[in-house]
Amino acid sequence: MAKVRLEISKGDEIRFLSHLDYARTIERAVRRSKLPVAYSEGFNPHMKVAYASALSVGVASRVEYMDMDLSQPLEPQVIKARLEEQLPEGIILSRLKYIADRTPALMAAVNLSIFRLTVPVADGADNVAIQAAIAAFNSAERTIYVRESPKGRREIDIKQFMDCETAAVLRGEELEIRLCIRMTPTGSVKPGEVLAVLVDTYGLPVKKESAFIDRQELLIADSERRITPMEVI
Amino acid sequence: MIQLDPAILNRVSKPSRYTGHEWNSIKKDHETVAVTFALAFPDVYEVGMSHLGLKILYHILNRRPDTAAERVFAPWVDMEAEMRAADIPLHTLESFRPVKEFDVVGFTLQYELSYTNIINMLDLAGIPLLSAERTEEHPFIIVGGPCSYNGEPIADFIDFFSLGESEEAIEEIAGCVAEWKKAGKPGGRQGLLGKMAQFEGIYVPAFYDVSYHQDGTMEKIVPNRPEAKAKIVKRIVKDLEAVDYPTKPVMPYLDVVHDRAVIELFRGCTRGCRFCQAGMLYRPVRERKPETLLKQAQQIIDNTGYSEISLTSLSSADYSCLHELVTKLIEQFKDQGVSVSLPSLRIDSFSIQLAQEVQQVRKSGLTFAPEAGSQRLRDVINKGVTEKNFEDAVSSAFQAGWSAVKLYFMIGLPTETDEDIKGIADLAYKVLDLYREVKGKRGAKVTIGVSSFVPKSHTAFQWFGQNTVAEIERKQQYLRSLIRDRNISYNYHDARTSFLEGVFARGDRRLSQVILAAWRNGAKYDGWSEHFRYDVWMQAFADVGLEPAFYANRERSNDELLPWDHLESAVHKEYLLQEYDRAVAQAATIDCRRDVCGTCGVCPDLGVAVIDWEARA
Repeated sequence: MAKVRLEISKGDEIRFLSHLDYARTIERAVRRSKLPVAYSEGFNPHMKVAYASALSVGVASRVEYMDMDLSQPLEPQVIKARLEEQLPEGIILSRLKYIADRTPALMAAVNLSIFRLTVPVADGADNVAIQAAIAAFNSAERTIYVRESPKGRREIDIKQFMDCETAAVLRGEELEIRLCIRMTPTGSVKPGEVLAVLVDTYGLPVKKESAFIDRQELLIADSERRITPMEVI
Repeated sequence: MIQLDPAILNRVSKPSRYTGHEWNSIKKDHETVAVTFALAFPDVYEVGMSHLGLKILYHILNRRPDTAAERVFAPWVDMEAEMRAADIPLHTLESFRPVKEFDVVGFTLQYELSYTNIINMLDLAGIPLLSAERTEEHPFIIVGGPCSYNGEPIADFIDFFSLGESEEAIEEIAGCVAEWKKAGKPGGRQGLLGKMAQFEGIYVPAFYDVSYHQDGTMEKIVPNRPEAKAKIVKRIVKDLEAVDYPTKPVMPYLDVVHDRAVIELFRGCTRGCRFCQAGMLYRPVRERKPETLLKQAQQIIDNTGYSEISLTSLSSADYSCLHELVTKLIEQFKDQGVSVSLPSLRIDSFSIQLAQEVQQVRKSGLTFAPEAGSQRLRDVINKGVTEKNFEDAVSSAFQAGWSAVKLYFMIGLPTETDEDIKGIADLAYKVLDLYREVKGKRGAKVTIGVSSFVPKSHTAFQWFGQNTVAEIERKQQYLRSLIRDRNISYNYHDARTSFLEGVFARGDRRLSQVILAAWRNGAKYDGWSEHFRYDVWMQAFADVGLEPAFYANRERSNDELLPWDHLESAVHKEYLLQEYDRAVAQAATIDCRRDVCGTCGVCPDLGVAVIDWEARA
């Protein structure tokens, strides 16, 4: 058994896939590639692949990670070539490497996600108002987002999940926002939720419904360093 | 090219219905092809993407270098509202071009209650709804599929119908449109329709004038153009081995209704159930060879990455080489992590044995369709199943470890009495008893699903007056009163939906005005219970001045001219009449595939024969 880690994308073409649809798409590509991927034992065998972190519908990503168990090792370039032939538009396999069996699972290891939000500004809005809203958000101690789901209504202090300062740059009619979001064992916040708070609580003058949200980086961070999952030994 | 605003896609449910880019989808440069087809399915993406016919046409057309075929589905109501608000025309999923710019828009007619969706899609596309109002600027609106055999209710909207199997016909259509365009569109729209009308199986409704008697029945239907034939006979593929099968289907990203590899074992079914329209329309039985199917299965798996293969046909348990095929499929795919799923089962122990081989693990539930509760009524409908067959099948299923059984029935069948309805409840109780006998304890679960019988054109029951809504509802409640065991659950269909289906299944072309009126008042997605608006429909009938009961509930006389008499499945009308008489007399008609010919007329008329690989071996 050999474990291989892949860095892939979720491009614009497939931005509106759910995580489940995205995972199924990759599994089908792996099956078409005829790579010797391992399956779980049991009556209903499933492919041994694991992902780092689920993306919402509408969110694209430059870097997603997945681990895949192979029943026999192959040269990395062979894996890459065979899989690339079968990947649909929007999924680019940028690199892969073998990792040790004991390497912690991606889901448990990654804890920092950096997003870029590109969103049209509201008519007549100026940069002063924009920067004021961002500054107010950055300096707040706490700020509450109310998450409504079929399971009920929950109030979340989203500031506890914000890592670095949020920055926004105005480019013509579009605002580019950079969010660093921590993923913790007790939860996290979605970039769309942060945007909602920026607009609804801090008056950021943008058309939030038209935002393009892209994950730029997915990292393993501790007090000393930030590395990508590909740098894990 | 239409670009959808992300704000819209963020607001609608399941946005990947609308974003395309699926694996195996085919994008061609429209500048390099002679003809463009928009293959339209009048229901939501997940339903349309599950339809085999669409995959076949997509494949056959795109195989041609001179043709581009693209897909378009009915947008769900939330997306439709967004499209209307933002003036986004209906467009295809490949090129994102407006449907209006295509040469041909082909709809598939699977179900009578999808008619308003066709109108709605034409409207969203900005194409005039009535064929008479279209000009050379507009695409040809064509339809195929089972409902085209009586497409009269939508005659006003459709340029031409294609009757029967279209593998060969669609190529003739594509070739003809290409030539007509190349020649500078001689004769305009009428010029092309005139050419089309000469092909076998093509029906141009505008080329016929219909007159009616005082009592509302049809007097005559007469061609008004020399090209129009008096009778239009269905097209059929004589040998399925000779036609291509789509082994590179478009892979939906969404979890669609049937999301697995599908191999088609055969077409046609000659069991002769008298209520069944498909059994008449697709005659005779023509099987594919097991080795062809195994090869196709491997190609589909290689091209898709699916992990499940399912077998399809009208009655897969009747495939002559089923056991051999299933055994070989399991063998061939067991190391590829691909499972095989069986279709609906026949009521016998052979089927149970096979199900056991395939379904090694999950004994989830078995489904049987006795269709009627009493032996008498099963004889009327020619469902060749005896009480003994049924008991044996259910007992074997329990012995093999199943404990949940689903049973499908119809109510409202010809000659039905309350005694027959009671038979449904009796059969359900019988299943519980059989479980106790086999297992020595209680624990079986029985689900009975009861639909209301809708008489269809081209069947032995095409003359029968459908039960009224009130009568169906009374029978539903009567059956409910007979079921008092909590291990039996009972589901039934909305009687009003079946009533409307019954109107259109045997309607004439005056109903086009009713469909238009209902659509204008908001009817769409009528097959979806949450969108079905009975009041809107009844108002539409009243506004147009037509009586729905005239179409649904009236028993026709033998000599009445029926609105579909000029549209032929090649099964003779005399044969159907004879079958109706035999039904009332409870006389059995045997399956012709391995026994004597029942003289329905299809084989000699179409120059075809039954293809049954076991019989030939």
